[in-house]
Amino acid sequence: MNPLSRFPFGNRWKSTTASVLGMALLFVSVGMTMATLVALVDGADALALATATVITALLGAGLFHIATPGSRNVAVIFNAVGITWVITSVLGALPYLFAGTFATFGRPWLVVLADALFESVSGFSTSGSTVFGAHNPIEAQGAGILLYRQLTQWAGGMGIVVLVVMVLPSLRSSGLGLIDAEAPGMGVDQLTPRIKTTAARFWSLYLGFTVAVAVGLLLAGMSPFDAVAHAFSTASTGGFSTKDASIGHWDSIAIEGVVVLAMIIGGASFALHNSALRDRKFGYFRDPEFRAYVAVLGVGVGLVAAFLVGDQIGMVRAFRSAVFNVVAFGTSSGFSNATAAGTPGDFAVWAAGPQIVLLLLMVFGGCTGSTSGGVKVIRLRVGMAQAYRSLRSLRRPRAIFPVRLGSTAISDSMVERIAGFMVVYGLLVVVGTVTIAALGVDLVSAFGGVISALGNMGPALGEAGPTASYADAYPTPARMVLAVLMLVGRLEIFPMLLMLVVPYRSFDGVARGVRNRLRARDR
Amino acid sequence: MWFGARPELYRGRPWPSWAATTVWAVAGATGGAGLLAVIAGLVDLLGAGDDTVPLLVLGGSAGLFASVLAVWVRPPDRIRHSHILCAVTGCLILFILVVAGFLALTTPSMSLTDALFQAAAMATTTAFDIGAVDANDHGARFLVGGAQWLGGVGALLVAVAILPFFGVGREFADNSRRGGRRPMAPNSSTAVRNLCAVHGLATVVTLLGFLMVGVDPFDAVLLAMATASTGGLSSGGDLESAAVQWVAIAGMVIAGTSLVVLWRLGMGRSRNLLRSTELQTYLGLLLVAPAAFLLWTDGSGLDGIRRAVFTVTAAVTTTGFPMSPGGTWAPAAPVLLLLLVSIGPMTGSTGGGFQILRHQILARVAVRELLRQLHPRAIITARLRGGTTAEETLTQVVVTQFLFVSVIFGTAGAIAIAGFDLATSLTASVHAITTAGPIRTLDGSLVDVGLWPTSARLALIPAMVVGRLSVYPAIVALGSGTAFIWQRLRLRRRSVVAVNHGSVGGSVDGFNQ
Repeated sequence: MNPLSRFPFGNRWKSTTASVLGMALLFVSVGMTMATLVALVDGADALALATATVITALLGAGLFHIATPGSRNVAVIFNAVGITWVITSVLGALPYLFAGTFATFGRPWLVVLADALFESVSGFSTSGSTVFGAHNPIEAQGAGILLYRQLTQWAGGMGIVVLVVMVLPSLRSSGLGLIDAEAPGMGVDQLTPRIKTTAARFWSLYLGFTVAVAVGLLLAGMSPFDAVAHAFSTASTGGFSTKDASIGHWDSIAIEGVVVLAMIIGGASFALHNSALRDRKFGYFRDPEFRAYVAVLGVGVGLVAAFLVGDQIGMVRAFRSAVFNVVAFGTSSGFSNATAAGTPGDFAVWAAGPQIVLLLLMVFGGCTGSTSGGVKVIRLRVGMAQAYRSLRSLRRPRAIFPVRLGSTAISDSMVERIAGFMVVYGLLVVVGTVTIAALGVDLVSAFGGVISALGNMGPALGEAGPTASYADAYPTPARMVLAVLMLVGRLEIFPMLLMLVVPYRSFDGVARGVRNRLRARDR
Repeated sequence: MWFGARPELYRGRPWPSWAATTVWAVAGATGGAGLLAVIAGLVDLLGAGDDTVPLLVLGGSAGLFASVLAVWVRPPDRIRHSHILCAVTGCLILFILVVAGFLALTTPSMSLTDALFQAAAMATTTAFDIGAVDANDHGARFLVGGAQWLGGVGALLVAVAILPFFGVGREFADNSRRGGRRPMAPNSSTAVRNLCAVHGLATVVTLLGFLMVGVDPFDAVLLAMATASTGGLSSGGDLESAAVQWVAIAGMVIAGTSLVVLWRLGMGRSRNLLRSTELQTYLGLLLVAPAAFLLWTDGSGLDGIRRAVFTVTAAVTTTGFPMSPGGTWAPAAPVLLLLLVSIGPMTGSTGGGFQILRHQILARVAVRELLRQLHPRAIITARLRGGTTAEETLTQVVVTQFLFVSVIFGTAGAIAIAGFDLATSLTASVHAITTAGPIRTLDGSLVDVGLWPTSARLALIPAMVVGRLSVYPAIVALGSGTAFIWQRLRLRRRSVVAVNHGSVGGSVDGFNQ
């Protein structure tokens, strides 16, 4: 019998966290292996990627081997999901560190470490914020690192834990809780009776969608490598690109069209996609959330285009910039179609009116069960319905008004949960903004950065525009705060905030035991 | 009943609720503004006295008109809550319009839109000064101070006397309700009397403070009114003087304190007062925030400390007395001030902002949600002030926050259309809805709204009104007004359709609905 399988004193380690983390690291190492293969062909960074792959795979295999899923209570599930995302993001920084991606001349090692971690967190959380910039261009990197960067977003898009649930044995009912804790929105739609099959269904849809986007981009004129790389970050609504000017590098209406369509699909619920494919019927507009999502995007495009037309950049260019940027913000993708700083697609130089629209879109996000970030349209829809009900109640105090979403009445407990989520979100925005400002960042950049990080957006308003680098816009401590907020936003707040409950309870139990023993001894 | 109107005095059919509340609102606004104009007219005699006659005539006419309306109205059997809220909003808007008229009359150099903006700033106690009031015009200066003071009283009436009856912050008014007693507000008329007495006393104490440090009596009156109402618009007194600043700080702290706390202090029932978490937070903010502010500005010595305490107190209490930055400010300093004006002072004070108690309730909602995540089936209540906060109150506060943020972004969008940058738009809208002012740029320097285009200034007025009314009444009024108009339009359309189809009876039924 393998001695490693008996831990620590003869019993196998019963830990859901370690078990899920182990499998997640194995999946990440698969991605790293793919990047290593590309690096071998490209001839750059192969050794660095191979080393990172081996370390990650060994750690993952070790954890998976010695641990078996244990307790399934909510605190443990939050701990498993939160720890998995944190450790995966930390180990995901290894390729950048070993390849010396950010070790440009004169940068202190601590800053290099922070940059690698920031890029990794930004990738896995599908934020798309980057520390690459004029001082360290993206296009100067090897193909292996570039592909790895895109793959981190793809893995984070549908969720690493969803992938784990698909293959990890003996999770049983806790699989639903794990997916629920990781999936964006207000719970997960169980597509099939078995949760493992549901997870597999989600990933197969995601894979098929990614392939379709890659083919679309290829046909639109991208090179095969760029098409595949951008398909990863488009399907996941991530926003990383292999070019410094992002999609603006191509300045092609066809490519922008494919990306816009893919972003809209990526920002819609995958359960809806599943229904449409299963029933072979376009039933999207029966869903009230999808209707609201499309309406938000439509109104956003209308407003921004109206503002931009006033800026005398031409009707077509104004509409094109409006559509691309509104969809990129509304789906929290964060791609840019600016060909260079100061060009029409560069929203950093737009007037305040369209910037406010983009700011609101960053908060709104896409649909529940999609790969997008933000608060999600459904929550805002319910929030507005609740505000309306509250005002109606003042006019008719004895009447009972249910909060409705389409024709469905939403239960009061769900309304309270949504209200609670939005309050916590608001508090995080305030605390984050003050913290970032205290670290020396101006109001707009601090506020925009926090909203962007919590919404997994990518570029932000102020100093961190679409053609700017986070390394120039924020000091290193501020970037670390933003990295934490990205993870908080990706997991929709609670798993990250509550992941330390289990360690705290363990510590509290140990401390109580010690105290009791000391008291007994004193007696 | 308001203005001495009692049901038993009237015969005949009572008026509908909406009609009676509308007339009361008109009477209240014109009566208040008329009284103010009459006093301002008399005060003008201290200076040139050229505005005395028109102010007395117009003020007297307005007062007479208000009295006639108050006697004419026949109180309804039952007043609908929404109609009271609409009336409160209408009263404030009409008061602004009438005061704007008086201001334009006494200051010929001021355009009508300037007068409207200035009157809105005065009545909503927002320190947005366009600097158009002549320093030698005593009548106009008194109008500025008096309108602020009345605005402060109006805010207290809304916060302490009116909103609690709708369940909107019933706990805000007086927490001794738990013991079965409501010493400050056993009924609405006593509540109004008590709060006017406490507010008046606070103003007199502040006035005496200013007089003691040598401020000219007339300037002291204006400063006291601006301080007690947290208005911050003062055309008199040397606010750069250290002694004046210390008195102003004390006055602002009193103005930002809940009237319930002041009432209990006045009645000698101060035991356990400091156990109030809201008071603790308020005092904590006033102690800690100046230290942080001092850290982020390059102030030093006693002078620096005084300037920091003054600026921070003006922000926390949303008074907004202007103070130019003495040195270089770190980016965090204006963010801190913006945060402080958003937090605001205690609930039940004349200050604006979202107010501390509402923030405490939001914090409880957040903690409850975290606990609910861990224990999805548990019934978890939010406890505050030693008791369970009603679910209705939690909902109202969360909805108020939602509306508050919506108004901020809406106003910012409107200002942005006028051509301002994002930082200025957001800062201005936050200052408007919190009724704080003045607006600061990212380096802390003061923005002169007098140089702004008219459209941008007009865009700030709705936010000021909404903020002064604690959001709810204004939104309800807007909703009710829209519903009323929509209903009338719909009925008219139905009647037109019915007439076209030759059925007159249908239209009559429609109107009768």
